[in-house]
Amino acid sequence: MSNPIRELSDAFPDAVVVVDSQGKTIAANAQASSLFGYNERELTNMPVKALFPGQLLTVPRQRSGHEDTGRYFEVVGTRSDSTRFPAVAAWMPVLIDHFVAAVLTIRVIAESQSAQFVLSRGLETLIWEGQDRQSLLRYLIKAREEERARIAADIHDDAIQVISAASLRAQQLGLQLRDPIARQVLGKLQETLNLSLDRLRQLIFDLRPPDLESGRLAAALRAYLEEMRSDSGIVYKLNDRMTAQAPDPVALLIYRNVREALTNVRKHARARTVTVELLDIEDGCLARVVDDGVGYDPAEVEARPGHLGLVLIKERAELAGGWCRIESCPGTGTTVEFWVPLAESFAEPGAGRGRAG
Amino acid sequence: MDHIFGRDHYRVIALVARIADLTPEEAGRVTDAWKQTSPADRARAWTGLVRTTTETERYQILAAASLARREALAAAHRMQQMDWAFWAAASDAAAAVAAGPGIGTPYQTLTAPLATVMPSLAGRPAPAQTRAADVAAAARGSARARKSASTP
Repeated sequence: MSNPIRELSDAFPDAVVVVDSQGKTIAANAQASSLFGYNERELTNMPVKALFPGQLLTVPRQRSGHEDTGRYFEVVGTRSDSTRFPAVAAWMPVLIDHFVAAVLTIRVIAESQSAQFVLSRGLETLIWEGQDRQSLLRYLIKAREEERARIAADIHDDAIQVISAASLRAQQLGLQLRDPIARQVLGKLQETLNLSLDRLRQLIFDLRPPDLESGRLAAALRAYLEEMRSDSGIVYKLNDRMTAQAPDPVALLIYRNVREALTNVRKHARARTVTVELLDIEDGCLARVVDDGVGYDPAEVEARPGHLGLVLIKERAELAGGWCRIESCPGTGTTVEFWVPLAESFAEPGAGRGRAG
Repeated sequence: MDHIFGRDHYRVIALVARIADLTPEEAGRVTDAWKQTSPADRARAWTGLVRTTTETERYQILAAASLARREALAAAHRMQQMDWAFWAAASDAAAAVAAGPGIGTPYQTLTAPLATVMPSLAGRPAPAQTRAADVAAAARGSARARKSASTP
């Protein structure tokens, strides 16, 4: 290094190495020698990548246009004794004797900065993991709906047809039987077949409520509320103030979420009454399910695994571009409210997401 | 990297730090104020908030809301003053702060209950002033909390 440059780089508080276009060190200041534990002679001709093993370090070959020019980026340096240290580095291409060299300045990250760096990386990882989890959940919710539809179609097209045919044949056989005991046995068999048909139809209803298929969300909810009232005695009030009709996927989402909330009321709330409201708000539907049950302590319930129903309600609403609030207190019942836009905004898993950084 | 709570990361942190230091009387005022807001207005505010933000921003907003809610829930436990309107108010305010005052009316609606005890949330002062005021308040709060924790 010529003397003026040498003096300049030695006066610099950071470690400085000058690298040729092949990535070999052609000069280093005293701070660099001290930081890496090599003398200047050892550093000369050493590939700069040897100081930062295993890391992507692109040496600028032009005076401009390199993405890392003048910008600090995080690296992990390795000393001559193989100990490692976190640092930030920046490239600055310079013209020395008619050829482009690159000056790499390296600044060691202090302990507190190092902790912050680790924390930032940890948070970044958490965000990525959260985004991956959301993508997976979005995929699972979609797959679950598709699977429900497939099972409902299979039951309708196959199992119900087969049992109906068996019931008809049993009826025909009944006309030919004369033995009263045999006729009685056949009667029982027909009853069993009819019961199977009823149960399968109920299963189809649960999987794909027919009212929902014909665009009547409130009617589908009323049918479920009525069933709940007759099973558990919970009195309901359904307040449907929706004027717009939700497209099928949105109506299905609202139905599933309200039903999930009602299932919780049925199983855990010990409520006497439940109110379900559907409102038009800002081109979307605001649904509220409010019960007068025993409530719960969110700090306790949310800290333990297994409240998947509540998680699903929230995730479904948020994935659809909406929001959700689920709140409760011991003795004050529970309120579930969520809003979803009526325009479908269910993106494909992973769509529109990028990993920054 | 981007801060986890977005552009107004430090305001969110300051708000969350301040929640931990609220007195039972202040928490009561927040709870009452939250209950005075119409649910439909609040729903409109949340809807405005999610509609005017990108998916990444929404993620940051929901993270802020979630942290503030947990902090308020813990504070309510400490005060033995369990009313979910309190942590809902904290969650609303943190979401609005993470989204920034630029969202307009939803910001005012969602921060109003907590602003009854944190006046810096209410107006639209210059960001630097707000940040400095909130950080100073949070620092005072933390100091008081440390003092009260060390008092038998």
